[in-house]
Amino acid sequence: MASVPAEAETRQRLLRTVKKEVKQIMEEAVTRKFVHEDSSHIISFCAAVEACVLHGLRRRAAGFLRSNKIAALFMKVGKGFPPAEELSRKVQELEQLIESARNQIQGLQENVRKLPKLPNLSPLAIKHLWIRTALFGRVLDKIVHYLVENSSKYYEKEALLMDPVDGPILASLLVGPCALEYTKMKTADHFWTDPSADELVQRHRIHSSHLRQDSPTKRPALCIQKRHSSGSMDDRPSISARDYVESLHQDSRATLLYGKNNVLVQPRDDMEAVPGYLSLHQTADVMTLKWTPNQLMNGSVGDLDYEKSVYWDYAVTIRLEEIVYLHCHQQVDSGGTVVLVSQDGIQRPPFRFPKGGHLLQFLSCLENGLLPHGQLDPPLWSQRGKGKVFPKLRKRSPQGSSESTSSDKEDDEATDYVFRIIYPGTQSEFVPQDLMDVSMNNLPPLWQPSPRKSSCSSCSQSGSADGGSTNGCNHERAPLKLLCDNMKYQILSRAFYGWLAYCRHLSTVRTHLSALVNHMIVSPDLPCDAGQGLTASIWEKYIQDSTTYPEQELLRLIYYGGVQPEIRRAVWPFLLGHYQFGMTEMERKEVDEQIHACYAQTMSEWLGCEAIVRQRERESHAAALAKCSSGASLDSHLHRMLHRDSTISNESSQSCSSGRQNLRLQSDSSSSTQVFESVDEVEQTEAEGRSEEKHPKIPNGNPANGTCSPDSGHPSSHNFSSGLSEHSEPSLSTEDSVLDAQRSLPAVFRPGDSSVEDGQSSEATTSRDEAPREELAVQDSLESDLLANESLEEFMSIPGSLDVALPEKDGAVMDGWPGEADKPSRADSEDNLSEEPEMESLFPALASLAVTSSANNEASPVSSSGVTYSPELLDLYTVNLHRIEKDVQRCDRSYWYFTAANLEKLRNIMCSYIWQHIEIGYVQGMCDLLAPLLVILDDEALAFSCFTELMKRMNQNFPHGGAMDTHFANMRSLIQILDSELFELMHQNGDYTHFYFCYRWFLLDFKRELVYDDVFSVWETIWAAKHVSSAHYVLFIALALVEVYRDIILENNMDFTDIIKFFNEMAERHNAKQILQLARDLVHKVQILIENK
Amino acid sequence: MAQTAMSETYDFLFKFLVIGNAGTGKSCLLHQFIEKKFKDDSNHTIGVEFGSKIINVGGKYVKLQIWDTAGQERFRSVTRSYYRGAAGALLVYDITSRETYNALTNWLTDARMLASQNIVLILCGNKKDLDADREVTFLEASRFAQENELMFLETSALTGENVEEAFMQCARKILNKIESGELDPERMGSGIQYGDAALRQLRSPRRTQAPSAQECGC
Repeated sequence: MASVPAEAETRQRLLRTVKKEVKQIMEEAVTRKFVHEDSSHIISFCAAVEACVLHGLRRRAAGFLRSNKIAALFMKVGKGFPPAEELSRKVQELEQLIESARNQIQGLQENVRKLPKLPNLSPLAIKHLWIRTALFGRVLDKIVHYLVENSSKYYEKEALLMDPVDGPILASLLVGPCALEYTKMKTADHFWTDPSADELVQRHRIHSSHLRQDSPTKRPALCIQKRHSSGSMDDRPSISARDYVESLHQDSRATLLYGKNNVLVQPRDDMEAVPGYLSLHQTADVMTLKWTPNQLMNGSVGDLDYEKSVYWDYAVTIRLEEIVYLHCHQQVDSGGTVVLVSQDGIQRPPFRFPKGGHLLQFLSCLENGLLPHGQLDPPLWSQRGKGKVFPKLRKRSPQGSSESTSSDKEDDEATDYVFRIIYPGTQSEFVPQDLMDVSMNNLPPLWQPSPRKSSCSSCSQSGSADGGSTNGCNHERAPLKLLCDNMKYQILSRAFYGWLAYCRHLSTVRTHLSALVNHMIVSPDLPCDAGQGLTASIWEKYIQDSTTYPEQELLRLIYYGGVQPEIRRAVWPFLLGHYQFGMTEMERKEVDEQIHACYAQTMSEWLGCEAIVRQRERESHAAALAKCSSGASLDSHLHRMLHRDSTISNESSQSCSSGRQNLRLQSDSSSSTQVFESVDEVEQTEAEGRSEEKHPKIPNGNPANGTCSPDSGHPSSHNFSSGLSEHSEPSLSTEDSVLDAQRSLPAVFRPGDSSVEDGQSSEATTSRDEAPREELAVQDSLESDLLANESLEEFMSIPGSLDVALPEKDGAVMDGWPGEADKPSRADSEDNLSEEPEMESLFPALASLAVTSSANNEASPVSSSGVTYSPELLDLYTVNLHRIEKDVQRCDRSYWYFTAANLEKLRNIMCSYIWQHIEIGYVQGMCDLLAPLLVILDDEALAFSCFTELMKRMNQNFPHGGAMDTHFANMRSLIQILDSELFELMHQNGDYTHFYFCYRWFLLDFKRELVYDDVFSVWETIWAAKHVSSAHYVLFIALALVEVYRDIILENNMDFTDIIKFFNEMAERHNAKQILQLARDLVHKVQILIENK
Repeated sequence: MAQTAMSETYDFLFKFLVIGNAGTGKSCLLHQFIEKKFKDDSNHTIGVEFGSKIINVGGKYVKLQIWDTAGQERFRSVTRSYYRGAAGALLVYDITSRETYNALTNWLTDARMLASQNIVLILCGNKKDLDADREVTFLEASRFAQENELMFLETSALTGENVEEAFMQCARKILNKIESGELDPERMGSGIQYGDAALRQLRSPRRTQAPSAQECGC
């Protein structure tokens, strides 16, 4: 027959397809550990199998009229083959559901809800519904096998299943896929996006209502593992309903050891026993037994009711490590009952297994799960052929048998056992015997009856409801006695080790945490309730007479109640240390005056510097623009410009170094600064105008210098980053030596060391005006030298006296300070007076410069007190100025206070601070710290002073500090000790044990997390807390923030990314009052822990 | 478990970075991309901020999880720790500031060193709308991009011009690399995750369904 090879080929093709699909599914299963029900592989697999099964099917077998041949075939098979029958029942139910769902789409929502949840099936899936269901029900292989065995009944002779080789091959191919687990976790209709932080908070509010009410505030200080000692009712699922159900599933951390449905439990005395799903889960260190009522498993309660269902109350979760004894009762007519007894002697509600060896199966699963650390005592026996059996040696209690006799008269079958779960080698086994003996005498006799009584009730429940249950249990006295004794040991050893662990734990706590809080606990109620905070009237009284309230009392008031908003402006300078408490008005005025003077001085200094910077920028900007417009052709020009930059720095630094030698050579001169000022004013404008035309003519380009770009904003910085810069030309060495020389200069003149004296104002103006010229005009005119020398005599006295008169500044040690600018500027001004100088003369050869500069420098040290700027300083300042401006512009633009004028103030203060701390420089975030101060104080000098005080602490948090890591470490310890559950989660998710989500909190003292009003109250609390409760109060606020949302974090099992995202989104939406309160409580908690040694 | 609560349906998840000097408009780019609006009151970023969006690239749904970092180089030690496992990055400079352009080399080194080896980078010259103040020419930047094997676009977070394109191009290139086998999403630290609900399980639990009450007839 010609068709025979063709048929054979068809069979081979069909079989090949199935093979391929099976392979794919198995691969998916291997790589993914499970297969998703909606996987496309399953659909194609079903199609392939269907093609095989239908191949050569007799028309009669499939029914003539049926459109779904598979359905017809399977139903037919079902008549002689129970698994197929079961299958057809299931599929038909499913089909009905689908049908009814279709009908009920319009209206009748109520009914739908009562139906078991309809699986989400795609049309393709419905097409292969039968095969799918058979596959998931793991009967497909059996059915196909049956079909192969009885193929003659259903198939034509050329059919695949008729083939003596291919048929069995197909059947055995299917065994693999049928052994797999299929999951329907999430499907396409779960099209939700990342829930926002808001949404998460909302969701939590909704379903937390029925959960255990242990809000973090109510939690015990030390979460020593909670013992669920009071039976099932307290073991309500603490996670959300959905998660609970999902937790029944196997995952990477938990293995499902055993699962059995329709296990009966009587949740309450007045209730019928309810069937449910019993499952045994094992994670790395714990085994958990869960029982979930069928109602929850089916999800048959409507969606809304689902979460609130009373059945949640009935669900049981038992940690097996708490269980000591298993009482097993077997009856012939019913399956068997297990009662679990925990260490404290409390019985869990009995689990009644359905008939058919399930109890034994459960026990053997349990025994396997206990290995290697634990075991059942007595162990189950292995019997060949039958697997595990109950140990034969165990003496059956005569009374127990009589009880069962009374119920079913079958002595041999009914058997009661008591298994003990032991962990050989664990500590509890080695409790010193004498200790046990001694304390056993103290045990009240009450210990014995009570467990027995409860065990009786279990017996009565397990036995078929006989009225005289109390009597019926007396027979169990002998094993119960043993049990009670054991229980006593257990209880005692537990108690002892619990106590020991607690002691150790506490000592850790103390060492870790004692540094974080003040040990003196300040009460919120003594001497009066501090809830009102510091009010205007109290402050009034205090200001009138500083003896009315001690400082500590004021701080206490602030710590517990904040400062009344109206008096913040007055109080904050005290809190920040601008004023000391107890200062008289006179003293305060003095401080203010000092600060004002200092601030004005600082400002004048950096304003001068800024003028130069601006000048430079105009040039470089013009260059950049030019470059942009004409492209690369201008490169050479740029190089020349660059060179000029470096020459200037060379000059200036050289003059600096020589200036040192001349330090003492200054002598009398009598010209006044006024002269220069007038000159300068004229000159400055001219100089600016000139600068544009100057650079093209610059001679003497040293090409090697051209590598660094002027338009980087800090042109000459490259010259000084000696190690990194690309320069390799001779000039580098000179620069280096110059730098060295500068470093060795005595640090007499600092930017911050400015005068408060009369000469100051004039000096300031000079510095401002002269600044641009420092760069532009490098002139070697003796005339100017003379002039300079004369003029500078006046300044001579200032620096020396300053050092004495001024309060020490921790400002920059700017070694390179003594500049030469004064003199050249003078020279320049001379030039200006006498017409435009020749360009060449402005940039003399180095050789001549060396000579002249030494002469010039006779003047420089004096002028440097506030006037001249070393090139590095200029560069540094340029960089910082840019940063500051970028950030000031965008600082809290939406807040009402920050108008253009006030932003200018912000900028001024920031520049002044940075000027004094130029070695630290501006770091993003400083603006945020300054802004609230300025809002409250609304005074530049005052805000400047307060900010300086504030930064003493905050500086450490910036990248150059190093306190951040300490904060993280402290957070870690605190969470570990105060919320071990959360710590556990963080630990599991590994990634965020480094607590980067707190970064911004600590850096800005929560400024970005809260709205302005809350920032104020949080900040003043932090400042007061230093003296009242803890210098590390920020840690506790951070902890409070975490704790407020701990349930959400836990529920959603947030990882590093999630939690950063969550807190970012929650910014400015926290309840500051609640958080402060919680933070205070947390401090208190730690204080108590440390106090109670 | 709850991880699934945070999940959604998409084919891939790419971790993206936005890096570049302070004030170049990184946060604004991100905001424009996600909200299609210009954020005119944005504050400088401290630490890291986030955005995520699902885009459709050639029929595939890709969820971009974008980490917006602080720009100031002083925070590099901090922002660096976020680089790990990024699949793509937008390297942003400001066309009106040569300084930000000059800093690109450093950012580039950081990205290549600290993120995944195969990180896909796109250079974005932001503030295209401020053409009058331009300090960096298109030609120059595109030459730089070519030399360093970067994609390049000039963008404007203000007008939205090329913003979406920047993210899309970057994502597309990553997808292409995955398809060509150049990138292996399953390799640790690739910055790519399967997004499909089932495949997503890959990275954490191997979860099998517990025998359910209905189906288990025993």
